[in-house]
Amino acid sequence: MADERVARQEVEEVIEDPGERVHVWPHLVSIELVGALIYLFLLILAAILFKAPLTQIANPELTPNPAKAPWYFLGLQELLLHMHPALAGVIVPTAVLILLAAIPYIDTKRAGTGIWFYSPKGIPITIFSAIYTAVWIIALVLIDEYLPAGEGSFGIAPYLINLGLPPAVGYIAVPIALMIFIPWSLAMIVKRRWDPDTRELMICLYSFFLASFIVLTIIGTAFRGHGMELMWPWQMQPPTGV
Amino acid sequence: MRKVIDYIVNSRFWRSIYRQSYPDTPRKRVMAVINSLALHLHPVRVPKRATRVSYTWGLGGLSIYAFVILTVTGVFLMFYYVPSVRDAYWSIFDLDTRVLAGQFVRNMHRWTAHIMVILVLLHMTRVFYTGSYKPPRDFNWVIGIVLLVLTFLLSFTGYLLPWDQLSYWAITVGAEMGGAAPVIGKHVNIALLGGFEIGQPTLIRWYTLHVIFLPLALIVVVSMHFWRVRKDGNISTPVYPIEAAPPELLEKLGKAKQVAEGDE
Ligand code: HEM
Repeated sequence: MADERVARQEVEEVIEDPGERVHVWPHLVSIELVGALIYLFLLILAAILFKAPLTQIANPELTPNPAKAPWYFLGLQELLLHMHPALAGVIVPTAVLILLAAIPYIDTKRAGTGIWFYSPKGIPITIFSAIYTAVWIIALVLIDEYLPAGEGSFGIAPYLINLGLPPAVGYIAVPIALMIFIPWSLAMIVKRRWDPDTRELMICLYSFFLASFIVLTIIGTAFRGHGMELMWPWQMQPPTGV
Repeated sequence: MRKVIDYIVNSRFWRSIYRQSYPDTPRKRVMAVINSLALHLHPVRVPKRATRVSYTWGLGGLSIYAFVILTVTGVFLMFYYVPSVRDAYWSIFDLDTRVLAGQFVRNMHRWTAHIMVILVLLHMTRVFYTGSYKPPRDFNWVIGIVLLVLTFLLSFTGYLLPWDQLSYWAITVGAEMGGAAPVIGKHVNIALLGGFEIGQPTLIRWYTLHVIFLPLALIVVVSMHFWRVRKDGNISTPVYPIEAAPPELLEKLGKAKQVAEGDE
């Protein structure tokens, strides 16, 4: 008992290296000023070169094809094509936000603050996790698009329904299982290969999140054309009905 | 020329704004930061490594700068925009075609909004990969997640306002996603739309959120964020476990201590 309390209160012995200190004026203020000017210049240039879109006036009778959310939600809209809308639209984003917020309460050691990629293992783990995630997602998107499910339909869920399983298996159970299995298997591989500590495992899982977000957003933005069908970016036609 | 500058810089009015001359001595440099509202967000002195662009990439600063640009251009847009289903589209149309610099300011607002989303995501990623969420900055990371959500909401509510096909159907897709929530989905949908379909109640709701509530919320939360950056010991610097600390660091710190004590 007493030992346990002591163990919990044990202070982590760390040493911080702030290095040499400089005056904010002029050393930081000058950098900020230059950064702000370059940034403003680039924004003005963008505003001169590219026009903000204004399509036809809103018409509830005429659905554009494809109808897409703003780009930062296209990853979620991509998920929507593969699973139950409650999962893709609400449960997954909520879970992601809660898990992100929980990171500092899982990885609680101070040591490793302020160091890009933490340790020599940091970058290899990041790269491996990103590639592993991207390969899984691309493979699953392709399978869900092209797996013949009989009667001219395609996809994993229709395939399972065709086998006589209830729709909830294909649209809820399988997606949940996969969304748990992919990061779990990734963590297992990283554990075997790199013998990571908590921080390195966090790097692995954040890289999984980041790669998922980027890959799904790119697929949703550049590879979904009319009817939200999968195609190459250069095969895409401008949307109709706008 | 020199005389004119001297005259201005020594005038009563100038002196009433800037209490001192150009900050070229250590003491004046300290005073310059302490006496300025904008600059005193900073500490007086910072670790040199924290000013390296390749450490933070300035991403937090650029995010808040994007917000400032959005506020300024947004006020301009508000002069012309009419939040009614009948007029919204045409007020934007007129802004683009008939108002001096209208199209330019609207472009600026639009692209800066997209860029702010990207910057905030990149800032989060920088904070993550530098391990800057670790204690004592753990709660500031949580505040950051709230800021991320506010940024998404600001951008998304603004998307509806032009009332064109693009915005109308993007919001349809988005609201359907929210409406799919288990149990509360229908209520979420009605709350988002102010009714059963996208219409005038939706537009006025999203307009109000976009121009008043969400910006104010962001300002409040960002203030907490900045406050805590300061209170948590400013930008993170490397922390080593004592047993794994580089020996030259231990040596240097030992020496640094003596020097500091000698200073007192
Ligand atoms: C509107 C959005 C945001 C603004 C304007 C903002 C602004 C800033 C600024 C100016 C800094 C100082 C250092 C730097 O520039 O990197 C900072 C630091 C920090 N931010 Fe943010 N931030 C935002 C969103 C976020 C998000 C989404 C997160 C994470 C989830 C986050 C977590 C942090 C943390 C932990 C620090 C301390 C970093 C350190 O000490 O090195 N912030 N933020």
